Amino acid sequence: MKGLELTRKQAVLTVVGLLLAFAVPDLARLTASVQLSVVHQGLAFGLAAVGLNLLLRHTKLVSFGHAAFFGTGAYATALLASKLDVAMMSVLLLAAVLAAGLMAAVIGYLSLRHTGLYFSLLTLAFGQLLYALVQGQSYLGSSDGLPVRPGEANQPLIFGLALDADAYAVLLYYLTVVFAVVSLLVMYRLVKSPFGAALDAIGQDRTRAEFIGIPVQRYVWLAFVISGLYGGLAGAIYAMVQQHVRPGPVLYFLQSGDILYMAILGGFQTLLGPLVGGVVLVFLQDAGKDFTNYFDALTGIVLLVIVFGFPQGIVGSLERGGNVRQRAREFAEDPSVVGSWAAGAASALRSAFGDWVNSVRSMLGVR
Amino acid sequence: MLKAAGGTALAAALAGCSSLLGSGEEDDSQSSSDVPDEPIEAGLQTFTEGAAAVLGLQAQYGAQLAVERINGAGGVAGREMKLDVVHEGDSHVENYNQFVEEGKDVTFGPISSGGHAAMAPEVESQEVVNVGTDGTVTTLYEETVTDPTYSFRFQNYDVMECVSAAREAVERLGADNVNTIAGINPNYAFGKDEFSVFKRAIKKLAGDVEVVYEGYPDLMADDMSTHITEVNNEQPDVTFSSCWGGDVTTLMSQAAANNMFENTQLVGSVLYSAVNDLSQDVVEQASAISGSRNFYWGEPTTNRWQPGKKLREDAKSKWDIVPSAHFMSGYGAVAAWATATQKAVDIVGGWPSQEQIAKSLEGHGFYTPAGYHVMSEDHQGMSNSYYGKMSWSSDVGAPVLEDVNMYDPREVSPPPGTKSAKWIGSWS
Repeated sequence: MKGLELTRKQAVLTVVGLLLAFAVPDLARLTASVQLSVVHQGLAFGLAAVGLNLLLRHTKLVSFGHAAFFGTGAYATALLASKLDVAMMSVLLLAAVLAAGLMAAVIGYLSLRHTGLYFSLLTLAFGQLLYALVQGQSYLGSSDGLPVRPGEANQPLIFGLALDADAYAVLLYYLTVVFAVVSLLVMYRLVKSPFGAALDAIGQDRTRAEFIGIPVQRYVWLAFVISGLYGGLAGAIYAMVQQHVRPGPVLYFLQSGDILYMAILGGFQTLLGPLVGGVVLVFLQDAGKDFTNYFDALTGIVLLVIVFGFPQGIVGSLERGGNVRQRAREFAEDPSVVGSWAAGAASALRSAFGDWVNSVRSMLGVR
Repeated sequence: MLKAAGGTALAAALAGCSSLLGSGEEDDSQSSSDVPDEPIEAGLQTFTEGAAAVLGLQAQYGAQLAVERINGAGGVAGREMKLDVVHEGDSHVENYNQFVEEGKDVTFGPISSGGHAAMAPEVESQEVVNVGTDGTVTTLYEETVTDPTYSFRFQNYDVMECVSAAREAVERLGADNVNTIAGINPNYAFGKDEFSVFKRAIKKLAGDVEVVYEGYPDLMADDMSTHITEVNNEQPDVTFSSCWGGDVTTLMSQAAANNMFENTQLVGSVLYSAVNDLSQDVVEQASAISGSRNFYWGEPTTNRWQPGKKLREDAKSKWDIVPSAHFMSGYGAVAAWATATQKAVDIVGGWPSQEQIAKSLEGHGFYTPAGYHVMSEDHQGMSNSYYGKMSWSSDVGAPVLEDVNMYDPREVSPPPGTKSAKWIGSWS
């Protein structure tokens, strides 16, 4: 593809990554700690995070309501499957993407009049509105949700085939990997295009971007809709994996937070980061439950480690010039550097705590 | 003959009659060359944290006690049981699949209705038996999985407790005295379903009944005063609530503070789920009529039925709780599977397949400390449901039910194959 020249090392890494992704169903057979449905769900959420990242990375807009599009995609799939008995996977996917795109067009139009905090809060509000609406509609199954088990085969048909449960899960997973790769390539082209450059300009300075003739409002709206399309595709995949959609796991505002967190965890300055973040977070949440009752704290701890130790995220830190590489080099040169790192971390924590105490003091009016 | 003795010992242990067990010699007699030696791996998913843990932990403790008693009686056909517990959260399908991948012989749970609906079709396709502890939504076996093979549920379901509630209200107040009703129910599918069944049933039983108020506070809402004010204004004869856990505590405390109980009779299907949280003055002021799904430890009366007393003592000494119907849903789910499996072992003369265990569960009757239960042929557990006046017991240090009425499942649930709405509609 034009503009997509990989170095030899990058090409090797890409092939290894793809092989690994395709090997997951086999790995899941070998060990109970890797679960196909968990990795699959991670990929779906990661895909939504890739969409969100278009806004986050380039236009510097933080959306707190991206679960709305994920949920719209999931519910569009479930509605067609359970109420109209549509079983063709291609139709379900297409309908989900269109529905989410439409939803993004409306929500985007209404919330993009504002920037910064007000934009974030508006997306949050629309997301919660959608959640409350679905929760209250008995037609949509209220809190119990809707099944995605259409037709006589009791499942969506992939290429018109009715498969047994295992084959369905594996084939759907392979398709998801293909979707993910294609979506990443499309996103890559998009951000390297003049449109992507314009979005970067908007992110850096809206007013100046307007001065040089970029139709800011229209471009940002377009970016919002595109990110919604990704969310819709992701939601449809989720619905077909779970074969049941409930408002809590797809529309609740904490899911929006998770999608945002995935982008940051994986490295929101990278293309691949959000996808990796999605798989890692869903895996962490699932695996955490086997180890501790306080597994919710686990994600918090990981976030703290990321923010303080690896602000570029997982993928960002591994890239050239990333935190991990630099540290590894320093360590190879002089292992005693660990001591100074520990001291640095301690002093950073001390000063963070000091700042926090000062903030609390000033809030309470104590001097 | 010896195997039969083993089965009896297990059934007796689960009913809690340890005195019937003898010296434990049945341990060896149960082993058969066709039964593997390794322990039975079982998985339970329930809410171990968050507000729903009020119910979830009770179910967990119940299941653990059942497993302990099974192992004390020499296991199922000589095989010890091991129970692995995970938090259900929103991952019902994943948790179940993880259990299957880990090679679990049986799975139990969940608590959530929506999660149960998502999971039941998966159970049918993975073919590893699951006995649900709760997840009481009526549509589970009426619409979601209409012809189940591997999916079962122990807990009495929504229709049973709402029909019981309506009958109880009419019986205590008299059909002529129930003319107006109100509802304060949790704002999700369960709360709406419960009130709609209650309305349908009480209209059939008491004739011309007017609904004067319907309020739906969100789950875990900290303020229910607007609903209480409405009830105070309307003064309905009966106020029905399916609030559970922490919401019961909020509703009843705020209702007491605003004198709601002077204006209406509160009837609740799951008020007793908050038994470990309510305070004396609130309970005394409310004089509420409460249900307790499949189990109330004081009935059958403990001086005539020792297993109930023993269970309460065990729950108190091990976990410092008064066992509720959710304790019994955990206990009963394990007991249903273990006694049915023991029966299947005796019949097939070796360890039965999942399908054989499932077949053996259908129409299977067994005892627990709550009395006799049946796993109906439509895979729905059937137990007596209990309703009584909630009053304070200083001996127990918690609310108890007085003047308890029991409802036979046949009186409060449709026959297999008939949908609930149609059944209630057919009453004359």
